[in-house]
Amino acid sequence: MIIGNRLPSIPERYPLCCQWEITCRCNLRCIMCYTDCFNRPEQIRNELTTEAILRIMDELADAGCIELALTGGEPLARPDFFEIYEHAKARGFLVTLLTNGTLITEAVADRLAALPPHRVEVSLHGITERTFDLVTQGSGSFARCMRAIGLLRDRKLPLLLKTTAMTVNKAEVLAIKRYVNGLEGVWYTLGEEMRPTLEGSDAPGLLALSDEELQDLNRQDGELWTEACRNQARPPQPCRSGDRSCHIDAYGQLQLCSGNRRRGYDLRHGSFKDGFYQHLPTFPCPAKAEPNEALIQPSGRHA
Amino acid sequence: MDRIYAKNHDFVQREVAGECILIPVRRQLTDVNSLYVLNETGAALWRRFDGKKTLHDIILEFLNEFDVTQAQLEKDVASLIEDLLSIHAIQEAGQAQ
Repeated sequence: MIIGNRLPSIPERYPLCCQWEITCRCNLRCIMCYTDCFNRPEQIRNELTTEAILRIMDELADAGCIELALTGGEPLARPDFFEIYEHAKARGFLVTLLTNGTLITEAVADRLAALPPHRVEVSLHGITERTFDLVTQGSGSFARCMRAIGLLRDRKLPLLLKTTAMTVNKAEVLAIKRYVNGLEGVWYTLGEEMRPTLEGSDAPGLLALSDEELQDLNRQDGELWTEACRNQARPPQPCRSGDRSCHIDAYGQLQLCSGNRRRGYDLRHGSFKDGFYQHLPTFPCPAKAEPNEALIQPSGRHA
Repeated sequence: MDRIYAKNHDFVQREVAGECILIPVRRQLTDVNSLYVLNETGAALWRRFDGKKTLHDIILEFLNEFDVTQAQLEKDVASLIEDLLSIHAIQEAGQAQ
């Protein structure tokens, strides 16, 4: 009767996972952040209202979406965060919360524990107050983040800590990883990607580590080095964004993924199913395979 | 067969890719695969646990709608009840007087 815990067959195109950037507002100003340029009152006023988010979320659920990642900005900076979160839980999504952790108080942690998320992902960009607060540009943010980690662990919430390796924190990355490895049941991931800001500035790229610096960092840790070698050996795969996953920005634009916002479908005016099935497949992605491109292209036309 | 079962409201039923799945909303899921997929018969039975109908009522309804023998159906129902009770997705809500 219960046949297992895996979905036996999922179509090639199906909206199984969605990452939703529910706001660009944030209490911090991380130096590498690509959404902070929209953390301004005039932009925030254009973000989706609570009602619009709940309506679109219902459409996502009806379309069969099951994994929902709520991100930002800082999702908890929305005053209506728990209305959104609790609606998502009530609709049966497996909700992952991506947060900087600094707004997680005892009361917030209790409320999360009452309806546990699938996972909480907290950014940990330094292991000293000096480096962490330098990255976030928020005095006291390190202490608040560490306290949040404790509050989430006390409640046994599934927790992943993650770091973006940059010039300003590269000296602490391995110490961060050692710290996380010492926390039972907490996962860790190291990111390397720097994205241009949503306004198109390449400024975050100035903080990126060079290939040599990354290699040097990875070589110092067995797990990181194994992962780096595995990634290097893996042949490049065509991008699958938009097949079983999608991204929604703070203004209701449905996009292929967070890293590709070249085109969007406006969910304020159109339905999610229409956007996912009719429009998303037409959006451009340079990493997708070209459809059956002939090896020899005719250069002229014969009569 | 005179027992009555009700769904535990801490479980949400979803239709995903044509499958009926049950998701516990209050328990921690360490893995996306920690959800429960019901087969067609299981899903049809689950929908009928309303805290009012006895198992006997449900079986009679089912026999009218589906081409299945009573013996097979009673076996399936017993197996489903055992599964759903083991994950706390249903609870006993009474017995017909």
